[in-house]
Amino acid sequence: MLLKLNNLSKWVQSGGQKIHLLKDVSFWVNEGDFISVMGPSGSGKSTLLNIIGMLDDFNEGEYTFMDEAVHNLKEKHRSNLYKQYIGFVFQSYHLIDELTVKENLEMPLLYKKHGGAERKALVADMLDRFNIVGKKDLFPAQLSGGQQQLVGIARALIANPKLILADEPTGNLNSKQGEEIMDIFTQLNKEGVTIIQVTHSEKNMKYGSRVINLLDGSIVTG
Amino acid sequence: MYTLYFKIALRYLLKNKRYSFINISGLAIGVASFILIMLYVGYERSYDKFDGSENVYRVYMDYLTGDAYAAGDAQTYNLVGPTLKKEFSEVVDYLRFYRLGKTTLRTQDHILQSDNGCIADASYFEVFNKNLLNGDVNTALKEPNTIVLTETLANKFFGNQNPVGKTIQVYSGVPATFTITGVLKDQPKNSHFKINYLISYSTMANWGAISETIKKPSWNNNTFYTYILIDEKADGAVLQQKILDRGLEEVNDERMNIEPIEDIHLYSNKPYEAEANGSAMRVKFLTAIAFIILILSWLNYINLSTTKSLERAKEIGIRKVAGAQKRQLIVQSLLESVILNVLAIIIAVILAVIVLPAYNNFTGKAMNFDVEGALQLLPILGIILLGMILAGLYPAIVLSSYSPSKALKGKIRTSAQGLHIRKGLIITQFLATIVLLIGTIVVTKQINFMQEQPIGSDLNNVIAIKGEILNASTDSLLRRDYGFLMDELKKMPTVTKTALSNTYPGDGYDNLSSFMGMTYPDGTLNEQKVWYNYEVNPDYFEVMGIEFLAGQGFKENVKKYSNDIVVNAEFVKEVGITNVEDAIYKKVKFWGREWNIAGVIKDYHHFGLKNPVEPMVLRHSPTSDVLLVKLDAGITSVAGFNSIINELQNRWNTTFPESTFNYTFIDQKFQAQYEEDNKFSDAFKVFTALAIFIAALGLFGLTSYTCIQRKKEIGIRKVNGASIFKILKLLNIDFIKWVGIAFFIAIPISWYAMNSWLENFAIKTSISWWIFVLAGISALLITLLTVSWQSFVAANANPVDALRDE
Repeated sequence: MLLKLNNLSKWVQSGGQKIHLLKDVSFWVNEGDFISVMGPSGSGKSTLLNIIGMLDDFNEGEYTFMDEAVHNLKEKHRSNLYKQYIGFVFQSYHLIDELTVKENLEMPLLYKKHGGAERKALVADMLDRFNIVGKKDLFPAQLSGGQQQLVGIARALIANPKLILADEPTGNLNSKQGEEIMDIFTQLNKEGVTIIQVTHSEKNMKYGSRVINLLDGSIVTG
Repeated sequence: MYTLYFKIALRYLLKNKRYSFINISGLAIGVASFILIMLYVGYERSYDKFDGSENVYRVYMDYLTGDAYAAGDAQTYNLVGPTLKKEFSEVVDYLRFYRLGKTTLRTQDHILQSDNGCIADASYFEVFNKNLLNGDVNTALKEPNTIVLTETLANKFFGNQNPVGKTIQVYSGVPATFTITGVLKDQPKNSHFKINYLISYSTMANWGAISETIKKPSWNNNTFYTYILIDEKADGAVLQQKILDRGLEEVNDERMNIEPIEDIHLYSNKPYEAEANGSAMRVKFLTAIAFIILILSWLNYINLSTTKSLERAKEIGIRKVAGAQKRQLIVQSLLESVILNVLAIIIAVILAVIVLPAYNNFTGKAMNFDVEGALQLLPILGIILLGMILAGLYPAIVLSSYSPSKALKGKIRTSAQGLHIRKGLIITQFLATIVLLIGTIVVTKQINFMQEQPIGSDLNNVIAIKGEILNASTDSLLRRDYGFLMDELKKMPTVTKTALSNTYPGDGYDNLSSFMGMTYPDGTLNEQKVWYNYEVNPDYFEVMGIEFLAGQGFKENVKKYSNDIVVNAEFVKEVGITNVEDAIYKKVKFWGREWNIAGVIKDYHHFGLKNPVEPMVLRHSPTSDVLLVKLDAGITSVAGFNSIINELQNRWNTTFPESTFNYTFIDQKFQAQYEEDNKFSDAFKVFTALAIFIAALGLFGLTSYTCIQRKKEIGIRKVNGASIFKILKLLNIDFIKWVGIAFFIAIPISWYAMNSWLENFAIKTSISWWIFVLAGISALLITLLTVSWQSFVAANANPVDALRDE
């Protein structure tokens, strides 16, 4: 088992009232899974993804990631944990505008203390793998949306994570580009990477092996 | 990793050109101003620092006025030095200077006039300057009729030849021949006692140019500057107390006092100073302005980069997701601020170097960026560096503490606490601006006020001519020649009147004599008061436009010195006569003679308006060495003045073939007394303008950013019917409030500061209420103008554009 959530809840206080963003969410993910999280706007999909990615706190419940109890970890350990095992892919790519494609790919490695030569090799690998060698010196603004998302995925993968968290990875793309991205995810999954994607689209959902439906912060069918 | 940080920072700066420009230029101007002001401050504080200067003290005389002693005279008696050395073991040696005024020096090939010539003890080389280029410090000023020239002066006479052993003639009324025994290295400009040549003290005894009363060791003539060298183990303050305790039986109501030579330039302002000194107050004010400007530019920086950092939230989010830790983000942000600041400092230094010659010209100083200067700059750079880090730290911490999930969604808004801090920063900026504005207005008002004051004398179009007449003449011959010359000059259509005197308003203390001890008309003897006096001929009053309140001036054709004196109204008041008419024909006694008050003149300002009017005695003398020529008021052009001066010189040379010729427009000389104040006022204006510019830059950057941030809000308000005026009000109201708050804090601060500055002047302008109002309104206008430019664009924008991209 890669990770497990047990009765996890998150809420915010608003005008003296507790508003639940997530309520008693429990599920587990095995290595090699490809999970689609679905649900209407405001159902808590992104919150759930952020919590799994350890970017957000939760108020109640337990979260175990690779046998580590995340709810007991300090911020520094938590960041070490996700740094090592998790890659993120975003709907709006979130590349750093001031960096070139190559530098964007290199950035996560900088925070992981890889040597210069090793960084170069890893970046070259990724550029190769995603067929974007010719674009390595361009800035994000010079790329199409699909290309930017390719870079986004390459960046998520560069540190060789076990888990990819993708928040509507094709939301800003046209259908052809979307298909290409989803094909890449399928391919990655076959290579053994665990993927959790948040999506609105039935079509994308079908790429996954399991679906989690959320409504008002709770899992409807697991 | 640092290369990457570096790259990002540079690309970011390049991408956001307006932001970078505002930030860097604000900082650069601030730092450049700071460097320039601190250079000046450093220079002013560097006076009279030489090897061993910490053990050199100047002796001066305290006068008893009423019940208390006050600093009375920078000059001392010639027995002061020897007495102190004899009685106090701490005193290693003493050095006396007797100043020669403007003299003429002559070799076979050259005639030159030189001021700052001095008769000095041979101990000069021990107490002061050890930099004798040629000659022997042990013997150079021992023998009578020996002279030491400075390098510059020696070069003028002898070029590159070694002048030691050669002779030179010095004319100071009476000529004498001197053997050159040494060449002195030129003094640094930052010394309060300027010297061009030194004549041995032993010369005095046999030199006709020096009056007998001065030659004799005595407690009668305080016309010597005395410096003492004290043992390096001795405590100056203890010695000072001992000297004060000793008292001075030899002279009534006086005592000796000492001060460190290093303090003279900034802290001493006594009658008969060797030169007009600087002012600690001015230095303090300038230092304050320097720091205000520097802090203003940092506040700007903090404000701009914190606000701007909201835009970087996404990047920070990405970095955090990619595994960056808070510390790493702070380091990156700090690195960026260091890059920006270093760029700004480089530009600032370049700016300062470019401006320096003009700045030197303006301040009349000789500052430079040499090794010593650079060392002086080290603490300054330290301050800048420290501020830079502090200024970078706040935005860095703000930036790095964004929560990544929020940052990525663009949900970052400034926290309430952050807003308070920024508000505080802006109010501080306004505060500084308003204080500087009030300062500028008060300084300008005071300077104008001073210059508009009637000085009680008409100095316009009066030329003072003074030359050294080299063929020694007797008094009566000179008198005949002057009479002849004046008759000649009066024939010129452009000359309306001529007169003779030995000094005039604005000439300072140099040629003014003074005495103590006078018996009043009612018989009381005052031994404490210093009375200033000078000699004039009968036409003086008319040429100078000095009015009589009672009595009359001197009569022509007095063979001998007459016993008549003319005094000013202040004198009459001082001797206890209320009605000026009553003073006429009253007798006073001084110098062992009885004098008859023939006339009372209206008070005029002899020393300039910084000083109060002193009682003044004008004595009658038909031969004085300053020839005053009043010109026709119709002449205004420079060419007109030049041709008259040529004409005057021709006639002077015809009368006195062997002589030198010097002229001064005395109104200019009088104004020159305010030169330092004028410069201070100019500096105040320039630096205030710069400070306002920096503050406005920051404000401009800030509003342009808030307008972008509030674009959506403005759009929604407009869609719901808000008018442009309403939007403008919405965007501007905060700034108006902040100016208001700053204004009320600024009033007491600037009132206090400017009052203490005005303490320097005998005649002061009032700090009227309208000054504050004017400063407040100016600050408000500048603010509104800066802010509205941006807000107006924002308020006018089509709301559809603003709402579409959400």
